[in-house]
Amino acid sequence: MAEQTTTLEAATEESASEPREWQPSILAILCNWCSYAGADLAGSTRLHYPETVRIVRVPCSGRADPMFVLKGFQKGFDGVMVLGCHPGDCHYAKGNYYARRRIALTQDLLKLLGIPPERFHFEWVSASEGNRFAALIKEFTEQVKALGPFEGVAR
Amino acid sequence: MSETQDRIQEEAKKALEIGEVTLVIGWGAGSVPFKTTPVFIDKPEDVEKLVWNPACANNLAVYLPKLARDRKVGVVAKPCDIRSIITLIREKQIKRENVFVIGLGCAGVIDATDLEGANVRLRDVTSLEWTDDGLKVTTESGAVTVPPAGCLRDQCLVCDKRTPAISDVTLGEAVGRLEGLSIDIPGLSEDRKAYWAEQFSRCIRCYACRQVCPGCYCESCFCDRVEPKWTAKKATADEAWMFHATRAMHLAGRCIGCGECERVCPVGIPVVELARELNAIAKERYGFDPGDADEEKPLLGSYTEGDLDPAHHSE
Repeated sequence: MAEQTTTLEAATEESASEPREWQPSILAILCNWCSYAGADLAGSTRLHYPETVRIVRVPCSGRADPMFVLKGFQKGFDGVMVLGCHPGDCHYAKGNYYARRRIALTQDLLKLLGIPPERFHFEWVSASEGNRFAALIKEFTEQVKALGPFEGVAR
Repeated sequence: MSETQDRIQEEAKKALEIGEVTLVIGWGAGSVPFKTTPVFIDKPEDVEKLVWNPACANNLAVYLPKLARDRKVGVVAKPCDIRSIITLIREKQIKRENVFVIGLGCAGVIDATDLEGANVRLRDVTSLEWTDDGLKVTTESGAVTVPPAGCLRDQCLVCDKRTPAISDVTLGEAVGRLEGLSIDIPGLSEDRKAYWAEQFSRCIRCYACRQVCPGCYCESCFCDRVEPKWTAKKATADEAWMFHATRAMHLAGRCIGCGECERVCPVGIPVVELARELNAIAKERYGFDPGDADEEKPLLGSYTEGDLDPAHHSE
């Protein structure tokens, strides 16, 4: 018990002397059949990727309502991602084709609103692309980190 | 103008008398000559209430989803209003056979506040009339002619759709597109984020923009929902941002740019701008024009395999 307390104190001291580097928080909206399975693969193969990402699983990228993206930014996420099955690979045959138009326009709307485009990322990730998923999260985290904390949608 | 007004009354009367329609929606005189108000005529003897002048702003298509649901309704419509009717038909909110369109050629609608700049006392105006040189404004103390650029609403300055795309009767004369004019929104090009933050900070969330919009036909709007709470009721810039950003997205492939939302905004936010720009992008990229009767499917209810891929777009 005493030993544990010491360890905890030591740990607290350590974190106080070396403040942890700011990490962005990222909202990732993932299609159940490909991208979420890809994230699962990354986890089960013990790949390391930044813990910046909060995953929301949706049945299909076609379910990734633009409002999810807008709400993510409004709620203060520093970055938002939408990942879905590669074109032609949709579990529901064409959901990701609908998503493609919708997300492209969402991206345009963000630009019109003056939200930096680097804070949003859309990508196709399959169930077998665990490595790619981990790499994408890492890359996007770095990208958002470089921009710094998001100051809010209407500021 | 008055000749067109007579013809509108004639057609409305005929349609009501023969039972073609049971109701005609049109514009009626308001409290002053440059303000008109929607009127709903269901008796042939009431058609005299229908007016047509350069101040007939309301996009009357907004009433059709409710009023033309299970009966045939006549509607007096400018070319932009007709473009709204086309979107409503495409999106199955009304049936073509349930609307009798009295279509009008259009010279543009005036912005009364512009006239103030031309030293016209609005309450003194006795008549408004288009002439070859512009808008002839007659007041008790005489008449002045204001050039179109000095009195038209922004979207009318750049409008090139001045004849009805569909109609059952076409009346009035159209005037060609005005050359060399553009919409200028001061401050928008500098810092978009700061610009919209300032605009939305004034939003009082009255939802007038939604109420006048023929594209906002949902019976249950996302912003009225409590669960999930997409946007809170409080009138902060953040919440207003969520409302206006979502509304712009919902109008992608739907907004025909009539600018009614902007006209009714009590705090002067250029509400139509986001949807207008978004639809300009959609037109360029997908070739989609919401007001085009030949478009069979909604913009976001269709796709092609060769659509632009946003996964590679941003890189």
